[in-house]
Amino acid sequence: MTNLLWLQGGACSGNTMSFLNAEEPSVCDLVTEFGINILWHPSLGMEFGDGIQQLLRDCISGAIKLDVFVFEGTVINAPDGSGTWNRFAGRPMKEWVKELTAAASYVVAVGDCATWGGIPATSPNPTDSEGLQFLKANTGGFLGKTFVSKSGLPVINIPGCPAHPDWITQILVSIAVGRAKDLELDHYQRPKTFFAAFTQTGCTRNMFYAYRISAEEFGQKRGCLFYDLGCRGPMTHSPCNRILWNRQSSKTRAGMPCIGCTEPQFPFYDLAPGTIFKTQMFMGVPKDLPTGMSQTGYLKLTGAAKVNAPVWADEDMFV
Amino acid sequence: MISMSKEDDDKLRESIFKILTEEGLVTQVAPVPEDHIQFEQIMSEARELPLDDLRGRLVIGGLTPVSMDDQSCERCMYYLVHRKWCDLPGLDLPVEPEWWCRLWRI
Repeated sequence: MTNLLWLQGGACSGNTMSFLNAEEPSVCDLVTEFGINILWHPSLGMEFGDGIQQLLRDCISGAIKLDVFVFEGTVINAPDGSGTWNRFAGRPMKEWVKELTAAASYVVAVGDCATWGGIPATSPNPTDSEGLQFLKANTGGFLGKTFVSKSGLPVINIPGCPAHPDWITQILVSIAVGRAKDLELDHYQRPKTFFAAFTQTGCTRNMFYAYRISAEEFGQKRGCLFYDLGCRGPMTHSPCNRILWNRQSSKTRAGMPCIGCTEPQFPFYDLAPGTIFKTQMFMGVPKDLPTGMSQTGYLKLTGAAKVNAPVWADEDMFV
Repeated sequence: MISMSKEDDDKLRESIFKILTEEGLVTQVAPVPEDHIQFEQIMSEARELPLDDLRGRLVIGGLTPVSMDDQSCERCMYYLVHRKWCDLPGLDLPVEPEWWCRLWRI
């Protein structure tokens, strides 16, 4: 039996919705097949009032063994560091979080807000929000740089806005079956099994990327979304085109640019007007190039790709 | 993308070349847009022109039959290499690979 507690800070509940839609495995599978006991969850928990307070106190004291503490949403510190803008079960949520993370064997941050602060922590960050162990790309966050849970692992970050349902449930299963020690985390503490490759890996538009054929409108079948519509697929780490959404599609497959939501810098350019769904350019060259590519390399490759493009590249194949 | 025969493309490309050279049409080669906002402003101007206003599009785009460094049409995002065509919505013109315009992008 693996006891799991899920709390929600400054959040929109998007990751809860995602979690409840998981299929491989589903939330029911977690309970029936993998022995996960959901002590409490904002959408599933039965206790309220004194009951939830007692449950949380028992988790902190050790009367109830807390194997996995999952947090969704930001840790809210406002006003003036008190955290009282986000009260839960009679006290600021941040105080519960501090004590529960110290008691838990594993701590999992689900979604951008819990991992790096996400949209709430974007400047001017009125709620003084931060992620559990990061604030944007800076390590530290609410728990501090050196935090490790009782298992010896730092916070396991599963980013995304929201995180894909199966990323969440598969990581929970790895913990429940005792394979958490096999989880390799990258420098942002994301499981490498999901976040080593790029969103572009498996993108059905790669042939258009290769020959520099641009899509200019949402939903357009022909063309790559990187050149005009600000797609961040070539520089975002996620398996969105390998572990498909709803088992059948992805943003880019549907003609919607990747917004880079698994990266700590999301939302990019602090949501300044004109920066969303627009490739940011300087003198005709994209400001953000595919990861690892120099501007010179990009120019050379693009020149060669254009000159050597096959005939079909000039035509609309989707007629 | 406007659909025309290859012969029509060639004829139009030839007339554009004449307009730019023999007639000496002066096009707006400057300012070159630094970012996508300036780019969009120029594009909006081009899109407001009547569809048959060829000269207007040449002027606003800043098309010139002279190459600028490495920024020739054939290295531009919007160039269709086999059709020798600028596929930038708002311009949509037959061009030569060595030409240039201020809306060049890669």
